[in-house]
Amino acid sequence: MSTDDLETDLTRNTENAPRELLTRSFFFLCAALSVVTTLSIVGLLITEASKFFTLTASLMGVTGETASIVDFLTGTTWQIHSQEFGVLALVSATLMVTIGSAVIALPLGVATAIYLSEYASAQARSVLKPALEILAGVPTVVYGFFALIYITPALEVVFPDIGTFNMLSASIVVGIMIIPMVASISEDAMSAVPDELRQAGYGMGATKFDVSTGIVVPAALSGIFSSFILAISRAIGETMAVTVAAGAQAKFLNPLNPASYLEGALPMTAAMVQLLTGDITGGGLAYRSLFAIGLVLFVITLIMNVISDYVSRRYREAY
Amino acid sequence: MATDTDSGYIDGFGQVSRTTGTIFRYLLLAATMFGIVTLAVLLVYVANDAIRPLTADLGWHLTFFLTLVVPTAVVGGYLARRNVPALKLGGMVVGMLAVSLLFSGGVAIVFVDIIPPLTGLSYVVGLLVPAALVVVLTKYEQQIPFTLRVAATGAAFVLSLVGVPGYFHSIPEIVRQLPVVPADWMILTLVLGGVAAVVVGQYVARIREDTTAGLAAGASALLLTGLAAVVGPALGVDANAAAVVTSVAFVPTVAYAGGAAVTRERERIGLLLAAVVIGGSLVGAAAVDALGFAGPQSWVDWQFLTSAHSGSAENAGLYPAIGGSILLMATVAALSFPLGVGAAVYLEEYAPDNAFTRFIDVNISNLAGVPSVVYGLLGLGVFVTYLGQPTGTVIIGGATLALLILPIVIISSREAIRSVPSDMRQASYGMGATRWQTVKNVVLPEAFPGILTGTILALGRAIGETAPLIMIGAPNVLFTLPTELTSKVSAMPLQVYAWSSLFASEDFYTKAVPAGVVVLLAVLLAMNSIAIVLRNKFESGN
Repeated sequence: MSTDDLETDLTRNTENAPRELLTRSFFFLCAALSVVTTLSIVGLLITEASKFFTLTASLMGVTGETASIVDFLTGTTWQIHSQEFGVLALVSATLMVTIGSAVIALPLGVATAIYLSEYASAQARSVLKPALEILAGVPTVVYGFFALIYITPALEVVFPDIGTFNMLSASIVVGIMIIPMVASISEDAMSAVPDELRQAGYGMGATKFDVSTGIVVPAALSGIFSSFILAISRAIGETMAVTVAAGAQAKFLNPLNPASYLEGALPMTAAMVQLLTGDITGGGLAYRSLFAIGLVLFVITLIMNVISDYVSRRYREAY
Repeated sequence: MATDTDSGYIDGFGQVSRTTGTIFRYLLLAATMFGIVTLAVLLVYVANDAIRPLTADLGWHLTFFLTLVVPTAVVGGYLARRNVPALKLGGMVVGMLAVSLLFSGGVAIVFVDIIPPLTGLSYVVGLLVPAALVVVLTKYEQQIPFTLRVAATGAAFVLSLVGVPGYFHSIPEIVRQLPVVPADWMILTLVLGGVAAVVVGQYVARIREDTTAGLAAGASALLLTGLAAVVGPALGVDANAAAVVTSVAFVPTVAYAGGAAVTRERERIGLLLAAVVIGGSLVGAAAVDALGFAGPQSWVDWQFLTSAHSGSAENAGLYPAIGGSILLMATVAALSFPLGVGAAVYLEEYAPDNAFTRFIDVNISNLAGVPSVVYGLLGLGVFVTYLGQPTGTVIIGGATLALLILPIVIISSREAIRSVPSDMRQASYGMGATRWQTVKNVVLPEAFPGILTGTILALGRAIGETAPLIMIGAPNVLFTLPTELTSKVSAMPLQVYAWSSLFASEDFYTKAVPAGVVVLLAVLLAMNSIAIVLRNKFESGN
């Protein structure tokens, strides 16, 4: 940009003065800290997780690491005491929370976004938007308590054989929690659709309903999709609500069977909390398994963030 | 914004059905309200379980209805119809009093229980000495080279706060060994009242444009604090508590209300609302006391706020967790604010447009999406395992949470910095200012309210985080307040988690947990309302 060049020119004479050097280095170090953070997360998770695989491999009498990585990724039993580490039991539970919360949050979030961007008056928006932000601001442990104490008994009226800990109540609160994320990103995308497109629709005799569903939503599809991915990634990483509400017993459930939502299971994040609530000393197998789950979690969320970034940039309609 | 059509015109064709559109519209509204209404119902339930308003006598409700609700509704209704800005002013004063009372409780915990007043004073004096040197050095900015000034300032801070072991004591040590030390309340009056006096004095001097008025206001603020500490014990209030509450809550509120009364003639009628609310509460409290009506048997009571965990839910309290949360937030703010703002300044003002800058950029937005539990693992792995720190201390918890909110602080600070018009920067460069001078004198002051708002909202996120604290091994049960950066720490959400999972029982579910949730949400509400007030002021200012 030309102004940047101008500023660089104007400050060239002074940029190596001691004070300028000192302040610039400080600001640079602050920015570089974020890179250091990422590198530490990646390095730490990989080293500790690889130690875990080496340890489990030797425990199981398997030579080489590959066998136990396969066991870890395909096993369906998670039992710390009998040293069975099949992460699928945890992944299935995480998948259930993700599917359950997505079923709630994605349609509601998009509907909210359409309402805010197309229908609501400026005054209604100024009330509704902060109110929606509150949904995302309540601490997640509080949501977990709500699910356990208020939502589960209410669900018991409809489903008498629901467990005290169940995936349904956890999914509901996680869904409520991520509505604002879907709504605000989708709404940004819908507001960015130019008015000319809407006016063209009205000029062709379309009703407001036709314009909203036939013009605005398709035009904003990339933003809506990227909001879905970010919200799902948030649901996967959500910890305290599922720890309190979903239960402590690892179980392999079929995420596509609605009846299994009435049972409790142990999502990945909850398993990590459970591992640490017990006595863990550094270096033990359970301690290392933490990092193995953490690595799986980190990789999944990272991939989703990258996809969302890519989709919103690649498929954005340029107006 | 959508352009609305004249639907009557379309109806004129007699062909288009509006049924689908109407149904669709109300379905959308229902979807929008679903989450909000669900949360509202849950909040009503938890507030009812925690505060139990129905356990109060009917007379208690009736008394407060007559002394507080009716007058407030009358005055509020009148203002809402005649003078909305005045209503806002009145609400602002009431809100300010409520929020500052809440925070004065936190300040009291920190400056009375966590840091003994004498220790606090010794550090204030220890900081004043190098601060004075900085002021003097700035005066001779032209004569002394920059490197020398930095070296001298650094040396002064180290000598003053750490001293040279074996050769001479640091200033805090010297102060603590003085033969005659003032009483605690005197120290609190001097330090907190002093801070309040400076703030109030500057505020009054600015709005009245009169230095003498500012000095007078500052002096009376200090006097008022001292007076409260002296008179307090006679009324049955602890002198330390009286000094803290007066300097943190009453003095700023009175100054704001007084300032509004003098300068905003059209709106000052709104102060009547504040007077009615405060007066009504006091009269109501006196009346129920005199008439002998029992109030609600709330679980959020003095005992809950001031005692530690207990095996029975009735005796359990949140005190160590509240103190822990305050210390954690102080640590998080101290770490994340300079680092986050520094990174934002680099990316907006300094960074060249190259691959590394773009990498940092992508990296920060990805870090914002990393689950909090993974940050907990980072804290556990790096600080505990590799650096060998003890588990669950204030400094480790604070550092982990600071890393967690750093991306949020950076992103919101960048937005605030970006919103500073580039004309202002160019004007500064045109005057021959260097980059740092432009950042210091133009960019940061202009962006400061926005940066502050973003940081407070990020702190609100940090105060509700539980998972990273569990990961770094913070104890589930803590009976004493953490007093140092290396003490074990608990936090409000952690305590709520411990009660709702480790001590799971009907007793805790219906008593201690709702009370803890209400306290946690009240603190969050206070923090967010400060951020929203700041943001509105900032937006209307531009």
